[in-house]
Amino acid sequence: MEALTTFAQLLVGGVLTGLVFALVAVGLTLVYGVMDVVNFAHGEFLMLAMYATLGLALLGLGPLLGLPLAVIAMFLFGIIVYRVFVRRLLAGPPEATVFGTFGLLVLMQGLAQAVFSSDFLSVPSPPFAGTIRFAGLAVSQASVVEGCGALILTALLFAFVEYTETGRAMRAVAEDRIAATLMGIDVQRINGLAFGIGAACVGAAGGLLMLSYPVYPTAGVPFALTAFVVVALGGFGSISGALVAALLVGMLEVFGGFYLSPELKLVPVYLAYLVVVLVRPQGLLGRR
Amino acid sequence: MIALGAIVAAGLVTALSVRDAVALDLVFTLLLYAVLGQSWNWISGYAGNISFGHAIFFGCGAYASALMVTHGLSPWLAIPAGAVAAAALAIVTGFPTLALRGHYFSIATIAVAAIVDALVRTQPWLGRATGFELPIASGWAALQFADKGPYIVLALVLFTAVQIATIALERSRLGYYLRALRANHAAAAAVGIDERSWKLLAFAWSAVIASCAGVLYAQYTLFVDPPSTIALGVSIDIALIGVVGGIGTLWGPAVGALVYVVLAKGVALELGGTGKGYDLVIYGAIICVIAALRPHGIVGAIVDGLRRRRGALELGAASATGGAA
Repeated sequence: MEALTTFAQLLVGGVLTGLVFALVAVGLTLVYGVMDVVNFAHGEFLMLAMYATLGLALLGLGPLLGLPLAVIAMFLFGIIVYRVFVRRLLAGPPEATVFGTFGLLVLMQGLAQAVFSSDFLSVPSPPFAGTIRFAGLAVSQASVVEGCGALILTALLFAFVEYTETGRAMRAVAEDRIAATLMGIDVQRINGLAFGIGAACVGAAGGLLMLSYPVYPTAGVPFALTAFVVVALGGFGSISGALVAALLVGMLEVFGGFYLSPELKLVPVYLAYLVVVLVRPQGLLGRR
Repeated sequence: MIALGAIVAAGLVTALSVRDAVALDLVFTLLLYAVLGQSWNWISGYAGNISFGHAIFFGCGAYASALMVTHGLSPWLAIPAGAVAAAALAIVTGFPTLALRGHYFSIATIAVAAIVDALVRTQPWLGRATGFELPIASGWAALQFADKGPYIVLALVLFTAVQIATIALERSRLGYYLRALRANHAAAAAVGIDERSWKLLAFAWSAVIASCAGVLYAQYTLFVDPPSTIALGVSIDIALIGVVGGIGTLWGPAVGALVYVVLAKGVALELGGTGKGYDLVIYGAIICVIAALRPHGIVGAIVDGLRRRRGALELGAASATGGAA
């Protein structure tokens, strides 16, 4: 009975962790789908959003009230980064987008360290600090809010891409850039928009994560590493694939951390990546 | 070849005449980083697959050295042992990913580096987070020396061997295949070049080169721990060196190492060392600027400029386009 309770506890933990992973990963997969760029600085965008949320919280706007502002700020930040930087990378050889966004990662981590120092900072007295007890299971309120928020935002993004005019234009650019241009779609505008939305997703993720995580210059790294794995597992460019894969990775990490050791919790996640890439490189729900 | 001869001569003179420990340390670091940059260049430059975890191959050599010496074995055995470990890690990372689009490989390098880092920090026989201090000895059998001269000679030997190997690579079947795959992998595959096996070969050699540098490093510093050998920071430095000088060029890594050593010392002197993030800001900004404006690096930009000038001269219109580098 006790083993069963432990299992259920881990299962719930895995699902809630996975939902947050999904929110970080959908932005990454959207950007990749539209413009074939893996943004290696995605985790640093998340870190920036977490600092922004913290700043808003110190101004008196709690993490959830500050969330829409963080989303808007990150959206604008994403568009500016695309206009000033990523657009130029796209004109170069394919490796340029890889090491260029990696350079951005190094730059943003350095700036964060220089400005905020390496200290771990948290929102003072965050809301949802209590614990929910249900049928012998204990779940923190914050992780439930984070999970539900992530689920809602992922669904919103999915609906946007599937059912709006702009979303259709994005899928058209993803499908065939040249044909989309010939149909009168402004590819630069769509690319910029996609990059902005990708950043807005981590803006939301940052707002939610500040409910229970501290922020520090490399706070985004573990989330970004899992997001890369999630995106590859789900199929690069697939939003629904990212959600399914994120839940799987959440389970792997929580169960791995419990049955192996907390330091090695990412080992099964990465091994899963190598195996999936070897056996099914298009990912679980992706197309080749 | 002439340039290589000049560098070897200059290096030998330095090793024999200079007694200033700080200057010798700089020369050693320069040569070591030039080797590491070239190792990175084999897979990331010539083959076009960016590695973000190159430090683990360096770490293979360094840890092989530490393990051999602390178990009373000869450090010379660390050279083959580290090479085998590095090549095995390269194959594990590269086999699933090298036949796919570039980012699959780059993510795998980050992932494998993170696994190795986590394992080293938790395994007692690998020294956990504290690492190893190598017992002090002296002489060629122990590969340790009281003064820095022999280390410079060894670094020079390694650097020369790697540069000659790279010249051979540029002229070999492997080198042509890699550049063909990088330029257009579909066309290269269509004429029968097997992407996975040739890139895997290049990656394994790249890992072996980095491992050799790791052995020399461990014997030089006599101290091996995760932050100085396998951590992400070391991988960032190696990639920076490769990118700055010019990816896919023979002399790019040496130029990159020179820029790096000057920068690193400058940062340490002017801004009070690492830990405050200024070094990362500068390195990151440099990588960003090069990626956005001159993706072929310093040597690449010079080569492009020369080529353009030569082409313009042949057309009899030198004034129209030349000298953009």
